[in-house]
Amino acid sequence: MSATATDARVESAAELADDARAALRSLVLALADSKRVLGLRYSDRMLGAPTLEAGIAASSMAQDEWGHARLTYAMLGDFGDDPKALEHERPAAEYRSHPALDAGFDSWADFIACILLVDTALAVQYGALVESRYTPAHNRVQKMLDEERFHFQYAAGWVRRMAAVPEVRDELAASLARYLPQALQWLGDDDGPASRRLVDQGLVSASPSALRARFLARVGPVLVDADLARGLGLSRRDGGEWLVSQSLSFDGWNEEARRSGGALDEQTAARARGDKNRALLMD
Amino acid sequence: MIEPVFEVFARKTRGEPLRHIGFINAADGDLARVYAWKTYDEQNWDEMCVIPRSAIIPVDPQESQFVTMMGRDAEQELVHSAGTGSYGGGEVTR
Repeated sequence: MSATATDARVESAAELADDARAALRSLVLALADSKRVLGLRYSDRMLGAPTLEAGIAASSMAQDEWGHARLTYAMLGDFGDDPKALEHERPAAEYRSHPALDAGFDSWADFIACILLVDTALAVQYGALVESRYTPAHNRVQKMLDEERFHFQYAAGWVRRMAAVPEVRDELAASLARYLPQALQWLGDDDGPASRRLVDQGLVSASPSALRARFLARVGPVLVDADLARGLGLSRRDGGEWLVSQSLSFDGWNEEARRSGGALDEQTAARARGDKNRALLMD
Repeated sequence: MIEPVFEVFARKTRGEPLRHIGFINAADGDLARVYAWKTYDEQNWDEMCVIPRSAIIPVDPQESQFVTMMGRDAEQELVHSAGTGSYGGGEVTR
């Protein structure tokens, strides 16, 4: 592969080789579906939040996520997809949403842990598209990442606050422990053919392992501040690289679906598709 | 758990004076920034700031309308209950 071939800007997905185009489409669809379901899960926390301001912010973040999903689905028009059909006509089994979102939140702790870990993992993966050779991603992605800074601050503030409340600290630690391995794994397998193709072709700017390092560098300081890092097996080598004690297994990993099993349930997919208002859909 | 009050100021264009647009309750400055942005984002602000109410020093405490009771529990409770008293939730706030 010549340097020229992997440096040149790609203005349309049609310019990509079949396998590279399929890998990028899978990634973009996984991001879009994850954003859509994430917004649904956030919306479940708009009412009954601990404070009025926290509920208002949850509502706003839910809208952000649906906006991000809409922008991301729209990108797939360039891959020969009908974005409207992707949004409104797929069965649950075809959703590529993050497996950590298959279940709803049982508690405020789940909500906060999910924002810190799953939303940040998505933001880190989006970040790898900012420097992609595939230029249609650039502007859209940067706007999303600007909004995601507030989501991260929200999660960081609540993690600090909850960690200081003895009655909810353990619950938060348990939620974080459940989401952390899923957030890390979702960033992908370095040895997966699609991951390698995306990196080789300059369609993403970093390998899955490099993205995990970015992710840990972002969430690690928050967890250290809250004295929760050690319990999660998270440490830092001499002020540099972040390490996780638990190794990731990619046995049974479906690279295209970005999961090792399970699926979104039909009830959630029906909400994501907007089935109840299908008769009112506008072109 | 009582959250401090943060006053929210914003301007629409560069050069326009900051003006007071409201207040929010937040546990710390980070959450105050998020809440302010998410609560008052219906307009296209050029800049928004949050200031802990406790940092405002009234020139004449007797005449100050919104910081007269600054720092006193009674005022904190009044503001807090006005925002969240009938809201439910309470998983964390006590």
